[in-house]
Amino acid sequence: MSMNFMGYRRSNGTVGIRNYVVIIPSVFCANSTVEAIADQVEGVVALRHPVGCTQIGLDFEITARTLIAMGNHPNVAAVVVVGLGCERFTPDELYEGIKASGKPVVKFVIQEEGGTANTIKKGVAAAKEFVKLASKMKRVECDLSELMVATKCGGTDATSGLAANPAVGEACDLLIAEGGSAILSELNELISTEEMLARRAVNEEVAKKVYSAVYEIEEVLRSKIDERYPGRNELISPGNFTGGVTTIVEKALGGVHKSGTSPIVDVLEYSTSPQPGQKGLFLMKYESQDGEVVTGMIGCGAQLVAFTTGRGNPTGFPFVPVIKVTGNQFTYKSMQENFDFYAGDIISEGMPVEIKGKQLLEMMIRVANGELTTAEKIGGDELFVIARR
Amino acid sequence: MLRKSLVVNPKDSVAMVLENASKGDRIQTPRGEITLLEDVEFAHKVAIVDIEEKEPIYKYGEEIGFAKTAIPKGTWIHGHNTGCDRGTQKR
Repeated sequence: MSMNFMGYRRSNGTVGIRNYVVIIPSVFCANSTVEAIADQVEGVVALRHPVGCTQIGLDFEITARTLIAMGNHPNVAAVVVVGLGCERFTPDELYEGIKASGKPVVKFVIQEEGGTANTIKKGVAAAKEFVKLASKMKRVECDLSELMVATKCGGTDATSGLAANPAVGEACDLLIAEGGSAILSELNELISTEEMLARRAVNEEVAKKVYSAVYEIEEVLRSKIDERYPGRNELISPGNFTGGVTTIVEKALGGVHKSGTSPIVDVLEYSTSPQPGQKGLFLMKYESQDGEVVTGMIGCGAQLVAFTTGRGNPTGFPFVPVIKVTGNQFTYKSMQENFDFYAGDIISEGMPVEIKGKQLLEMMIRVANGELTTAEKIGGDELFVIARR
Repeated sequence: MLRKSLVVNPKDSVAMVLENASKGDRIQTPRGEITLLEDVEFAHKVAIVDIEEKEPIYKYGEEIGFAKTAIPKGTWIHGHNTGCDRGTQKR
């Protein structure tokens, strides 16, 4: 297998596997303006979102950090920022945050441009220029160490922990062995495996971070329920028990498989890149809402997502390929157009996980090279959702 | 009737049945053939060894809980006979 891939090297040294011009509203008030621009230019994507106005504290910081991270993402060639003009998260802050990475970016403010029509006109002209610029960028040979994959489990069933997650975990191990990186999150679904995860930490300091990250998420969940539910089993939904999961540990053990066996290098905050030079397996502090957690991991720099699902799931991300993996032979047959990789033969044929992991890494490399995923083919973009606190 | 089942890790004390199974059905496991003592639904678990009261129950090679009562092999393993306090006492 070729251990390199063809990617877009950005001026700040990061490597993208897609090359989109992205139109980002700094506040939800600019959503329809942004979409009107995107509708008129081939090859651009609009990042509609519901936030940016009157947020404070951590909630505000997460929005700011995430929108800047989207603009700075290596899969993005250039950015058009559109603001309203009176929002808490200023268009300037978004513009400057993206400009600092050296990426081509322009900014239009609706209140300064004299309304929607003028802004759309200028935005369309700028987006067309950027598309021309982006189309001249060439893929170059890049090392696998430049690749970071986000792992996610959604619409889980009993096959996820047995087939799909182990296959993803094996692929992550192989990628990390080549110097690459992976992110594990959904910490609410890892409660009770913190000891195992801490044992995999590279040092004592990171082990402590692992414990406090899991406990922090447990506190977030506990704050929403009362003392009638003191145990940890009550933190997961009853459907798990109907499906054959007996304890929260059993659920978590199925979920933790998708991170493989590599050491945990560090614990990341939501939408925050690792330190320069840090590579390997990371834990990101967040819960498992599909869109919110995927957006956070992409904000950390993941250029592609490995998404396991037993029940089937059609979602995608606007500028990041999402590889759908299932271990359920029935779901695979009934929803084949929504899947990229089948791992059910681990259960039905006793296919070794090592072989499936290698095949999945090969698929990741093909997708990195430009092969479209099923979610990209149907235009799925639902997974862009900014977390709230 | 012989039913499909899966033992994930050699250390495990449970098997997962891969189809709905009835009392008296059998499964093949690395610990020998087990006869089911009760009906077990798809994706649920069966003890493949005799588990004593308070003894840990293993799946994925890890402790997923402990036996609240003695659990003879062939018994359905679920919340009625399995407790779990892993991690909670460490706070």
